[in-house]
Amino acid sequence: MHKKLMYVCLMYSNELIKGTLKTIVLSLLAKKGRMYGYEITQHVKEETDGKIQLTEGALYPLLHRLEAEGLLETEKENIGKRVRKYYRLTESGNNQATSLAAEFQEFSKTMNRLLNNFSLKPSYYV
Amino acid sequence: MSELNEQQVALISAYIKQHGIAQNTLHDDLLDHVCTSIERQMDEGKSFEAAFEQTIKLFGPGGLKQVQQQTFELLTEMNENMKKVAFSFGLTSTILLLAGTIFKLMHWPGAAVLIVLGAGSLAFVYLPLLLWHKLKESPRDESLMHISGFVGLTLTTIGVLFKIMHWPGASITLLSGMGILAALYVPLFYFKKYKTSSNKSITLSTGLVAMTCLILVFGLMTVNRSANFNRGLLLVGAELDYSAEKAANNEGLYLKLDGNQDAASLKMAVNQSLDEILALRLKLITETEGISEDEAMNIEPYLLSKQDNFDIPTHILFHGEEKYSANILVNSLETFQERLLQVYQPEIRSEMVTILPFDFSETYTFRDEKMDWANFHLRHIPLSGVLSQLSKMQLDIRNAETQALLYLLSQSAVSESPSGDQGAYEAQSL
Repeated sequence: MHKKLMYVCLMYSNELIKGTLKTIVLSLLAKKGRMYGYEITQHVKEETDGKIQLTEGALYPLLHRLEAEGLLETEKENIGKRVRKYYRLTESGNNQATSLAAEFQEFSKTMNRLLNNFSLKPSYYV
Repeated sequence: MSELNEQQVALISAYIKQHGIAQNTLHDDLLDHVCTSIERQMDEGKSFEAAFEQTIKLFGPGGLKQVQQQTFELLTEMNENMKKVAFSFGLTSTILLLAGTIFKLMHWPGAAVLIVLGAGSLAFVYLPLLLWHKLKESPRDESLMHISGFVGLTLTTIGVLFKIMHWPGASITLLSGMGILAALYVPLFYFKKYKTSSNKSITLSTGLVAMTCLILVFGLMTVNRSANFNRGLLLVGAELDYSAEKAANNEGLYLKLDGNQDAASLKMAVNQSLDEILALRLKLITETEGISEDEAMNIEPYLLSKQDNFDIPTHILFHGEEKYSANILVNSLETFQERLLQVYQPEIRSEMVTILPFDFSETYTFRDEKMDWANFHLRHIPLSGVLSQLSKMQLDIRNAETQALLYLLSQSAVSESPSGDQGAYEAQSL
């Protein structure tokens, strides 16, 4: 129950977002170079017109895990009285980002074709 | 563009820590996130308080703690391989221990090896791996709980192992292990659970049940289960002692045999054996009870508080100083019996052998295990039992002595007066 609420999004189901979270974050970092956590959430929100909103509860655990897996590295910068952590892709992170993006595009094409066929068929039979 | 001042940042930092974020890197991430979010909202004209409230709301019903929990879960998925290794060690230990216990119950050979291996891998491989894993994946404020759990469980495991193997130091290890579990681990564990649980009353009662179980086992261990049983044994010992004391009055016979070589050397052998038995007896009582020799001399045997301890007596007799070993005792009794046989005429010696009190050549069988006299009579026997046997030895020696002296007396009566009337009469009257 709580877990489901963690991936707050306005338009898509949690199941759908959950599987693509890693792809979203890695692709975004591949495009932008380095980003900090808040920046990532805001950027995703803006780029998707608010249709996908990453929550802190979903984003930070993922960032930490990707860092532990060696896909991300961090840089710390002092901002006033606090520390800001910038995340960037490592080399293997970059490879992952490319392959995940390609995989998803392929998947999305397949789904499109499949759904188009499905949506046509019923009209013939009615 | 708004920027939060020092107090505001400190306030948010305190809020994050207070809500259970113990991991430093996560704290930094969240602090920056919350601050930035507030700053942006203040740019849009909101007050600090309103922006703060709005930002925190976004963390969802689980709040900050949920973020940390999620992080741990994701991070620990990394260690799947290590988890598998740890789990297989745990499983192996459990199977070995289970097999060892069954073997021991069925008296099959190899039980000890299985139990030692099982408990060893549990205490020295599985539990340390588990501790390492737990320390890595949980916040620092929980490390005391994990360490106390580890120490307590390891000591308990070793204690149980020692107890099963009858090695010395078992009870103190077991007690301290269980003490740590009851005094530190269980309270800390349930305190943590209580703080985060949704149904506090159920957590509280399961915690209490766990504590009670531990305390009951604890109590069971300290209770002297077989006190009456041991008192029975010690009373038999005391009666034997009493009889030995009465039988000790052979001085009159020795006086009559004054100048007799056999009697003199018999007396020496008897005294030597009895001295050794007395010394061993004192050693056993002082070491096991932890009292001085003077106290040991005067204590009534059935008042001994550690009568059911067999770790220490077995250690003294089989692994301790040579002087107090079972071997020396057996040697001494053998010497006495040889000396005793010398008293009798060669033609009746073979008859006398059959009524000697101790037969050290016999092999004994206990639980399908063959053992010699010393192991059968003294190894893993509680203090009360060992003391009773020492009393019986004293009595046996005294009885055999009396028998031999009477024999010598009758012999000398025969040789001194050819008619034999007077001598024989004297011997009988004694």
